Amino acid sequence: MLTRKTALLATVAALTFAAPALAADIPVGHLADYSGATSDVGQPFGQGVADALAYINKQGGVNGNRLAVETVDYSYQAPRAISQYKKWASGSGKAAAIQGWGTADTEALTAFVAKDEIPYYSGSYSGHLTDPTGAAGHGKGAPYNFFYGPSYSDAVRAMLMWAADDWKAKGGQGKPKYVHMGANHPYPNAPKEAGEKLAAELGFDVLPAVQFALTPGDYTAQCLTLKDSGANYAYLGNTAGSNISVLKACDTVGAKVQFLGNVWGMDENAMKAAGKAADGVVFPVRTGAIWGGDAPGMKTVQEISAVSDSSGNAYRPVHYVAGICSAFYMKEAMDWAVQNGGVNGPNIKKGMYQKTDWVPAGLEGVCVPSTWTDADHRGTNVVNLYRAKVTGPTEAAVPELMKSGATALEKIATIEVPRKAEWLGW
Amino acid sequence: MAGTTLIPSGDFKTSYGADTTVFPTATSRNAAILGVAVLLAAPLVFDNYWLNLLIQIGYLGIAALGLNILVGFTGQISIGHAAFFGFGAFASAWLSNSFAIPVALAIPLAGVMTTAVGLIFGIPAARLKGLYLAIATLAAQYILQDFFARAGWFTGGVAGTIAEPFSLFGYDFDTDASYFYVVLAYVVVMFLLATNLMRTRDGRALVAVRDHYLSAEIMGINLTKYRTMSFGISAFYAGIGGALYAHYLQFVSVEGFTILFSIQFLGMIIIGGLGSIMGSLMGTAFMVLLPETMQALTDSLSGTVIDRALNLKDSVAFLREMAIGVVIILFLVFEPDGLAHRWKQIKAYWKLYPFSH
Repeated sequence: MLTRKTALLATVAALTFAAPALAADIPVGHLADYSGATSDVGQPFGQGVADALAYINKQGGVNGNRLAVETVDYSYQAPRAISQYKKWASGSGKAAAIQGWGTADTEALTAFVAKDEIPYYSGSYSGHLTDPTGAAGHGKGAPYNFFYGPSYSDAVRAMLMWAADDWKAKGGQGKPKYVHMGANHPYPNAPKEAGEKLAAELGFDVLPAVQFALTPGDYTAQCLTLKDSGANYAYLGNTAGSNISVLKACDTVGAKVQFLGNVWGMDENAMKAAGKAADGVVFPVRTGAIWGGDAPGMKTVQEISAVSDSSGNAYRPVHYVAGICSAFYMKEAMDWAVQNGGVNGPNIKKGMYQKTDWVPAGLEGVCVPSTWTDADHRGTNVVNLYRAKVTGPTEAAVPELMKSGATALEKIATIEVPRKAEWLGW
Repeated sequence: MAGTTLIPSGDFKTSYGADTTVFPTATSRNAAILGVAVLLAAPLVFDNYWLNLLIQIGYLGIAALGLNILVGFTGQISIGHAAFFGFGAFASAWLSNSFAIPVALAIPLAGVMTTAVGLIFGIPAARLKGLYLAIATLAAQYILQDFFARAGWFTGGVAGTIAEPFSLFGYDFDTDASYFYVVLAYVVVMFLLATNLMRTRDGRALVAVRDHYLSAEIMGINLTKYRTMSFGISAFYAGIGGALYAHYLQFVSVEGFTILFSIQFLGMIIIGGLGSIMGSLMGTAFMVLLPETMQALTDSLSGTVIDRALNLKDSVAFLREMAIGVVIILFLVFEPDGLAHRWKQIKAYWKLYPFSH
């Protein structure tokens, strides 16, 4: 008995002392919204990030160092994100980098991550995060904020450029009318000013913004307003879940509007849920290929997907693939940091500036070539616009719908938004 | 303090003053002082996780005490307490950001501002009772919440606002270990204040209003004055709690102060014990620690045989939320007088041991 106890004690002691030997682990925080107002798109994106990080560990981590990932569901509550961040930023297990999510929390944390020197890869593409120095004059600057994809502002600019051409091509008479729609929340508000300003410059008649909450609900009143105002192009600033409600309500009241979705505003699941009401919505897709595409990098994406789906049957929406890219840019910046002084915040940040037109290894054709510099965090200014096509009933499961072509994503344009200095930071 | 404590036979009081001391016995006074002394050493022993929980118990406890003065001692009701908590948070951040007022001064000033707001929303209390009053306070919750979302100059609008860390004599209290002392100091002061309040003429008037408002009025207590005052005091406590929260998190956003949070405050004082100063703190500790305990339990559950057998996986997180609800219901069924009552019974048991019958 005594020997068994001694053995047990020895094991415990050994484990206790062995723990510091694992100190080469790189702590990475991962904030996700799995249960809050944006969980409809937060789930696939968060899953993509989590699977990609697990896959990186399977492949030997960062130069043999495992990523110690802690995933936390913060329910889209900015205060919860901040208290979680404070745990990550303090103590011996200080996070080397964080994969984040929402606009409200990311913008609130901007000053903190700058002070603590922790690179923060957000799911928010707010234009405010693109100016690392603050030189553009739209705030103090966000030196440690990164995101993969076009900023919300650049995305709406691209869609407006497309809309201006579309109006001419359709032979529209007079000034087209543009309206911004979304919740009164930092995320839908982020590109509002950029969109309305450019719309006015392009000759649109800018109507007063229409508000609808981030959660699904009855938005008939908003659609009637839209119909009465005679809007031609409407920007949907929310995520897919509440947009579905708007699309359906507007379909019912017969508002004939060309909807322009946010990057988070439309996806394969939303097409299924909204049915024919989603037909024709134009929105930006951040990756060069979508699930089922034949880009060389899709092989890696499928291997990553197998991490959480061994059957291989799951359909991964556009956000999942974007999440993978976000994780891999961070990983390759860490690879550089390992070779150049060790993995810590400032080195990872420097690692982000090493390449131009950068595509992570193994994801060719999936992640759009991106470039970050110490004066400009607009990773990419190329916006791929897709149109949601719904041609039949959408009762079947998403993979079957995409296979049969009842729902489809059709690429309609690639718009290169000029990298203007005066468009930095908003 | 209200309530009876078991006093050994022969140990009697000869004056009203001796009957209303802050601590009923010398032992309880020493125990309280010892408790604070032990807590002073907490940052040396506990890691940030535990300090964070203690700090939460501190600032939420102060706000809960305010609600207990209103609900437990004066017999009013409020389901808008979180809005006052939020007002204090925004007010303190606004004062220190816009007027460069030191945080140490901004916190009590925010308490005063919140008192003013509380007095305004307390006016209906002079006329309304029961459910009608509850609905009137619901208005406070919604009006203030909407105000937070729109008043960009005051709150930063929906984007929220940054709050400076607490600093005194050039030293920043921006870590959990240092901020713990700030919160502890406020907890001691605010709880002593409340205990003292209940010993005064005004405090007894509040209790009289609760016990029988008609008798109280006949005895010459101005009901309107004391009901409104109770709202003011309650808002003051909420404001101080909120300000402490703001400078702890260093960020305030409108999202945090929903009606759910208001109801949570009610849960704290009901579980802790209505009309008990100490119960406010106990109930807060219970409500803060319960989710953490459940989290630990569900964490240990995931990956085990039970998890695999029932195929729980992602549902484990939801199990936690359900378990919290169940525990609260069970608590209300078996412990309707709150934790403070149970604590008294435990003390009585040991005082009379082994002849408790």
